[in-house]
Amino acid sequence: MDFNYSPSENEFRMELRNWLAGALPQGWGETVFEPEDEHERAMFRLDWERKLYAGGWSGINWPKEYGGRGATLIERGIFAEEMARTQAPEGINIIGHNLAGTTILACGTEAQKKRFLPPIISSDEVWCQGFSEPNAGSDLASVRTRAELVGDKFIVNGQKIWTSYAQYAQWCFALVRTDPDVPKHKGLSFLLIDMSSPGITIRPLRQISGESEFNETFFDNVEVPAENIVGGINEGWKIAMTTLAYERGPEDALGRQVRFKQELDKLVTTLCQTMQGSRAAIDNPAIRQRLARAITEIEIVRLNALRSFSVYLDGGDRGADASMTKLYWSHVAQNMYELAMDALGPVAPLSGNDPSARAMGRFQLSWLQSKAFTIYSGSSEIQRNITGERVLGLPR
Amino acid sequence: MNFAFNEEQKSLGETVDRLLEDHAALRAPDLSAEANGPAWDALAELGLFAMMVPEDQGGAGLTAVDLALSVEAMGSALGPIAALDALAVTDLLVRHGTPAQQADLLPRIATGELRVAVAVTEQGCDEAPEGVGTTVTGNRLSGTKVLVREAAAAHLFAVVAQSGTGAAIYLVPADAAGVTVRAHEDIDPTCALGEVTFDNVELGAEALVGAANPARAVTRLFDGGAALSACLQVGIAARMLATAVEYARTRVQFGQAIGAFQAIKHRCADMAVAVEAARSATYYGVWAFAEDAPDRARAVSMAKAYAGEVAKHVCNETIQVHGGMGFTWELGLHRYLRRAKVIEHAFGSTLWHNERIVVETLRMDEACSGDKLAAA
Repeated sequence: MDFNYSPSENEFRMELRNWLAGALPQGWGETVFEPEDEHERAMFRLDWERKLYAGGWSGINWPKEYGGRGATLIERGIFAEEMARTQAPEGINIIGHNLAGTTILACGTEAQKKRFLPPIISSDEVWCQGFSEPNAGSDLASVRTRAELVGDKFIVNGQKIWTSYAQYAQWCFALVRTDPDVPKHKGLSFLLIDMSSPGITIRPLRQISGESEFNETFFDNVEVPAENIVGGINEGWKIAMTTLAYERGPEDALGRQVRFKQELDKLVTTLCQTMQGSRAAIDNPAIRQRLARAITEIEIVRLNALRSFSVYLDGGDRGADASMTKLYWSHVAQNMYELAMDALGPVAPLSGNDPSARAMGRFQLSWLQSKAFTIYSGSSEIQRNITGERVLGLPR
Repeated sequence: MNFAFNEEQKSLGETVDRLLEDHAALRAPDLSAEANGPAWDALAELGLFAMMVPEDQGGAGLTAVDLALSVEAMGSALGPIAALDALAVTDLLVRHGTPAQQADLLPRIATGELRVAVAVTEQGCDEAPEGVGTTVTGNRLSGTKVLVREAAAAHLFAVVAQSGTGAAIYLVPADAAGVTVRAHEDIDPTCALGEVTFDNVELGAEALVGAANPARAVTRLFDGGAALSACLQVGIAARMLATAVEYARTRVQFGQAIGAFQAIKHRCADMAVAVEAARSATYYGVWAFAEDAPDRARAVSMAKAYAGEVAKHVCNETIQVHGGMGFTWELGLHRYLRRAKVIEHAFGSTLWHNERIVVETLRMDEACSGDKLAAA
């Protein structure tokens, strides 16, 4: 066990730090912020991802042959720390990087890797995820969207839901039913679908935050070339499990931790500047007790990820531990935003542009957004089933 | 950067675990301290107390990180609590002891023959070690310490007292004139807690530890006690989780193992997540302590506070999972509940460490913004 960094790791950190200093807008995080408008914000984030790519800082741990940097997991940890430190913007192609890319890298053919990975890294192609359906949420294996192989094409019909970023996406990976006559897990396939294909309709869904990040996506006789299947026909469940292991895994958690850490730092600053009666909010002992817990928990999200990295580096497998990773970050992040709203005091209900709102209402928006954490990527109830059965060996 | 224990560290932890597993009396439902003696002797024979002693003083020269899994095993086995005092004082002497103190004490601590106990807590004082009321005037030490572990068996006390220029640590032999020990009545008699009164006790020439910077010696001892306590707490939590899971697998109600019910399964899953989180915080805290990292104080406080909360939670949940059996004396779950409570209140409670986490965070932020200014 050693948390000291090697000279080459320190060099990596300094190189990134220097690059970030030049790449972020002047006054970033102090006088310059992300656009408020949802669409403008999405475009801003896409620009930022392309800037990262131009600087050689996108998909850093992917192999060099597909446009990555071949960085180690440790360097990925450093990357996350530096992004948190500089309050760097988030990206929009998270699903492309963390899910589509990792799944294609792990299970795709060489031709698929060469075709799909470089434009993910460059963010020329944004991805969305077609897993959930109105009647297949926690019970994901019961998806009904049909794909019939006709000649050299699949014909896809059905509906997906909660498709985040579908409105910005060029590609979608989808779990579809290719055989309705076998047990539900055994008749599924994993397809890569061009979102510009005729027959795809997107309808935005409004979330409790007021935003419309996610959508309903309809497939009406959509043609998908047969070579756009990952794994074999009817082998989709296994591929989807690989995707979920990454979606719930430590790399994803570490990326999120960056944002939580940024918001926590902002919360501490805000509480120092918020007077409540004769004292600043930060001097309220009840707030301090909960703040200490939040500081500890957000730090543990990072430490958990680093511990998982060490397990993988020692040759350990990815597995059900991803469910524990996801359970942890989702609940502690929700707790942090609950604390933020409680600690802001009577002005907590004030939003965005109200002159009396604290920190431009960001904690309120994040608090609303955080309600999704324990639902998407598999609800906490599903993660607890997986943890109980596959980690602890409890009966089904 | 590597967050894994090496083979030697794991192997040592497994050895301690197996050794203490043989001492089943440590975990018997009845609250007897008698099992401590044989377990202590076995740990001494294994060389546990020599592990952190430098090689030139007859030890193995290991660090707290090397021993983290071993201390976790001691927590899990309800091993003699005074072993933690021995390890914390060993670390203190290695870092801050004079050559004479090291030469005199470390070889005898290493063999297990010299029993040391940390005497810091006092009635009516804040938990901060700097706030103790025990005082040294001239060459005499006076004051009363409470919750001293295995106090009656100790040969030497490491006493935190006010020196006139701030808190410092003094080594006081148990047989010095003016030292009296009274056994406490308390929740876990297997810790043999005692009140130790020092009545105008004359200090020896080599009593003061860390003369160059007494305050640093005090926080070193306190952080050592806290970091190692977090390991004990993780050990207790992990064992309770395993006990709950085993029961949930085998106990049948309504025609099936109760672990098949989500009401039970989900509790167990949450406990497992909590135990792993406590491990992350604790292992990092122990590393920061061993390395004397810049964020040592905060990392140690995070470990102690968080592992304490998790140990408490998992003990409570495990009793609940066991239903009526969990509440019986004979099953012995109360032993872990009791031990966890004693550890929780030693070397700073959760509330105290939480406050320190905030203080340290604000201090580090200031350092960080100063750093930014310097860079600009």
